[in-house]
Amino acid sequence: MEDYKFLFKVVLVGNAGVGKTCLVRRFTQGLFPPGQGATIGVDFMIKTVEVDGEKVKLQIWDTAGQERFRSITQSYYRSAHALILVYDISCQPTFDCLPDWLREIEEYANNKVLRILVGNKTDREDREIPRHIGEDFAQRHGMYFLETSAKEAENVERLFMEIAVELMEQAKCKELPKYDGSLGPINGKTTSVGDSSCCLR
Amino acid sequence: MSFVKCCFEAGEGHDFLDSFVQKCTDPGCCCGCCSALRPHYKRLVDNIFPANPQDELVKSNMEKLTYYSLTSPEKLDRIGEYLFQKASRDIYRRRHGFVIIAMEAMDQLLVACHSQTLNLFVESFLKMVQKLLESTDPQLQILATQSFVRFANIEEDTPSYHRRYDFFVSKFSAMCHSNHADTVTRDKIRLAGIQGLQGVIRKTVSDDLVENIWEAQHMDKIVPSLLYNMQTAEKYETVSCMEGGSGAEPPARLAEACLRELVGRASFGHIRSVLRPVLTHFDRHELWIPNDFAVHTFMIIMFSIQAQYSYSVVEALMQHLDAAGSGGTDPRARTRVRAARATVLSNIVAIAAGDSVGPSVLEIINNLLTNLRSSVARDSEQKETDEKLYQEALINALKEFADHLPDFQKIDIMMFIVNKVPSIQRGNKGTKADAMLQSILLKSLLKVGTTYRTTELSKAFPAAFLEALLRAGAAGQARARALLQRILHTLLDRRGNAQRLQRASVDYAELGLTIEKCSRQDLIFISKHGYALFSSLYEGLQLESNTMENVEAIYTTLALICIELGSEETVCDILQLILAIQQSGLSNPVLSVAQQCQLQAVSISLAALLPHVMMLPRLAEYIHKIIVARREEAPHLLPPLREDYDDLHPSKMPNKLPYLMMDLMALCELLKAAGVEAARLSASSPYAAGSAAAPHRHSWVEAGAAAGRDSLAELAAPATELDSANSSPGLQRQAQYDDLDEEYRMFIEKYNHNHRPSKQDFGTYRSDTDFWYWDHDDVPAFRSKASSVYKQTQQSVYKRSLQTWYSMNILGRVQCHVSQRVMRLPAPLFLSLRHVQRDTTCDVTLKANFCVHVYRRSCTHVMTILGRECVKRCINVFKLGLLVTCIFVNSSTYVLQFIYRSPYCQVQR
Ligand SMILES: Nc1nc2c(ncn2[C@@H]2O[C@H](COP(=O)(O)OP(=O)(O)OP(=O)(O)O)[C@@H](O)[C@H]2O)c(=O)[nH]1
Ligand SMILES: [Mg+2]
Repeated sequence: MEDYKFLFKVVLVGNAGVGKTCLVRRFTQGLFPPGQGATIGVDFMIKTVEVDGEKVKLQIWDTAGQERFRSITQSYYRSAHALILVYDISCQPTFDCLPDWLREIEEYANNKVLRILVGNKTDREDREIPRHIGEDFAQRHGMYFLETSAKEAENVERLFMEIAVELMEQAKCKELPKYDGSLGPINGKTTSVGDSSCCLR
Repeated sequence: MSFVKCCFEAGEGHDFLDSFVQKCTDPGCCCGCCSALRPHYKRLVDNIFPANPQDELVKSNMEKLTYYSLTSPEKLDRIGEYLFQKASRDIYRRRHGFVIIAMEAMDQLLVACHSQTLNLFVESFLKMVQKLLESTDPQLQILATQSFVRFANIEEDTPSYHRRYDFFVSKFSAMCHSNHADTVTRDKIRLAGIQGLQGVIRKTVSDDLVENIWEAQHMDKIVPSLLYNMQTAEKYETVSCMEGGSGAEPPARLAEACLRELVGRASFGHIRSVLRPVLTHFDRHELWIPNDFAVHTFMIIMFSIQAQYSYSVVEALMQHLDAAGSGGTDPRARTRVRAARATVLSNIVAIAAGDSVGPSVLEIINNLLTNLRSSVARDSEQKETDEKLYQEALINALKEFADHLPDFQKIDIMMFIVNKVPSIQRGNKGTKADAMLQSILLKSLLKVGTTYRTTELSKAFPAAFLEALLRAGAAGQARARALLQRILHTLLDRRGNAQRLQRASVDYAELGLTIEKCSRQDLIFISKHGYALFSSLYEGLQLESNTMENVEAIYTTLALICIELGSEETVCDILQLILAIQQSGLSNPVLSVAQQCQLQAVSISLAALLPHVMMLPRLAEYIHKIIVARREEAPHLLPPLREDYDDLHPSKMPNKLPYLMMDLMALCELLKAAGVEAARLSASSPYAAGSAAAPHRHSWVEAGAAAGRDSLAELAAPATELDSANSSPGLQRQAQYDDLDEEYRMFIEKYNHNHRPSKQDFGTYRSDTDFWYWDHDDVPAFRSKASSVYKQTQQSVYKRSLQTWYSMNILGRVQCHVSQRVMRLPAPLFLSLRHVQRDTTCDVTLKANFCVHVYRRSCTHVMTILGRECVKRCINVFKLGLLVTCIFVNSSTYVLQFIYRSPYCQVQR
């Protein structure tokens, strides 16, 4: 039913293989896909959730981590309301790349975008990045932080729900245009959250 | 019948309720009771759905719904909304059969409703499409795309300016990258994605108010999506514009067609927005090496872009030559990428040549030279073969470009290049980089020179150019000097003799030389410049550093001069030079024995050539005697030249054999006997005996230079009409020159003021029409002339030419949207087009097509080849278009030949 009050665009970024697609599919479809192939370009998923009795529609753009798609994926940052930056807690290089990712986000995304750092694959035994290291990094760069496991469905729901809550609060306090389905604003003419909102923190 | 019941049960007719609902147009008026009822339109909508989702749309009820919405268009928005609500619910419940039916109904309504009411409906229609696109089911996504495309093809009178398409661009681009496990489905989704993008482009491209599709956020999605699909195709054969055909993968083909359309619709301001993501994509996906896909893509762009902008593509690629991005940090990989980009450039640059006007031509040349220079600076040691490949590719690009320019521009370009050659003082070796750059620039010069076809020597060698050439020839290393001689060869050799004269010889009879009598103009040329030319060549033979290659190269030059310019008037000068060479080979102390012997062989060879050029039988006899004697006694004084003459006995040294030399007095006698005025020959020789440090050497060069300047002024004197770049598109670019060096600026200035007497170039065409004289006309006058010319053009001919143009379109140009292009034509041209269109005998679209193609093609081929005229302004363009029409009267095949030979058609092969 198209009676959602808010529409938010969420973009996932991060190195190839950190589990972005798995996170999205866990959240939208409730499953952990075996043998998930690398994403090409960009994938799109939708999920409507309920916050305080109001429906919030999340448009989720899952980008490819591979270098060669970087230019097309960057073009999706701009209209994002929230950017989820994912690394793999069992893979140091994916963490080392975070500053590069932040630079890209700085360059291409709206500067008011909600940024969340996610350390994925907590179910794995061979952890390389301790939780507090990730937390520190997030704090230093003004990001929210969460550790998840797409495989064990740990914190996945929470991740997206918190994004929805946070964005809704922002939207309410800034009186963002509402996405009232019955009035039918189509195709996100109100993409520019950041243009009008001024505060995140 | 209970009131309550009817509120909840749909599908049955309740007439009293119908009338009630219909009267109640304002939903707020009846205290909420209406909302509890099921209004007529809802029942009509409900009725179109079959009981079973597997069944089809109920046709008869659909007709009723359509009829209702046509008669009550104010209900359309609610019908749309209701259909949307129903479909949303059905998607949620996974009853896809009903979703498909709802979409089909919306499609039908969209087509049926009138354009004024369309806007009411579009909103919910697009919401529906979006809803379907959001589903994970490929079938629904594809269905939605088809509906969207249908919508995109509808022309709206007043498109809604607040409608936004960025979701569609984002989603369709994502679909273009589908990674569905099943490849058949994957290709279907990708194809749908491309179709969707094509729809968005069509919908938005013509009206920036709707959504500026050219913005980076859209182009950065659309362009890579198209390229990604193209690059996966097995082969990159250029797809002809005709639909149908078979073979290539559909997504790749459609992506290519879509790219063509996009590029074709780009106006000047938008080209960069398309090109930037193209270049980035090639970097990111490392598609430069191997470069066949890059060549393919850029060809497509060149052939699709509006001709007058093709220069922008060249410019963008040139600016990208050096860009980082691909190849990472490895400098060798970067060089390889650079070389690959330059090769792509050399492949497309020719296409732009036809459309480039004065300043942009030189900008391209200047840019290529600058790149060459920085390449040399990077690697003056020539250790890197990759760097060398890059330079080769750049030089090739230079050649390709020059090849498609009119001849007078080639000379300008050569002049431009020769002025860039760093002068290296003799004796002082200069830096390695300088020497390297010198030889590279001379190589470029040679490449450009080979594309030039000399007719008149005075045109091939404007004085300033000759002077610069000779100056460059006097300096530099042996290799460079030999190169310079080769440049002279290509420019001097009008009759294809150079190849036969590579090696010195005395047996000319067997060589099959082509010899014609030289013209008066040639004689004027040589009388002006002969001195400078001869003395420079003479000096060139006196250098200690000469290799055999140098000596032989100068021999070839001199032999060509004998053939091209040999006559009674010049024979004295030539003989004087020959004797001076002979003498220097005896007395110049810096020369090695080998060089001395070589000079003897060269002088006798040249002397033996003279009787072949003109009737001098006694000279032939005399030379023959000497040759016979040398053959007996001193074969080392005869050709072929040798690298070394080491085993030479001291008694066989040239200066020990005075009786085997040509004698001045004897030659004078011979000439007198043949009736030639020989006084000049016996006068004292201007050639200093053998020393490289001859005191008056400079004064000659100077004299030549002074004369050169005079004659340049002469040449420039008749410079006439052509109102420079003032009205040409190149003018805007002038602002960008700031960063170019002063030398270049001056050249541009000179270029703009020193116009070509271009009318003289037209030869036979001039008499055909008087079109060429319209240059000064203002627009109204032009219009009236256009109409009169048009009237003169016979109807049948006109028709024929239309058909020809039309069939040429089939050669593979992308189909252009006629109405749009016509609109984009510049005003004066458009006025004339209207005139053409008033003609009622031909099919209107055919006419429009004709004009469009005349316009497009005239810019590229006809302009270049037929009229060697610069594209000065659009008036000329259309003028040429009409000219082409008229030429069809006489020689349509001729024109066709030109067009077939042109680069446009080559890509089809
Ligand atoms: N153990 C474990 N493995 C995971 C988890 N999430 C993802 N993976 C695995 O990591 C691999 C990559 O997952 P993807 O979701 O495709 O990674 P991605 O970030 O989407 O990669 P790209 O699309 O190439 O950018 C897959 O083999 C998954 O099975 C997780 O939470 N735990
Ligand atoms: Mg992925």
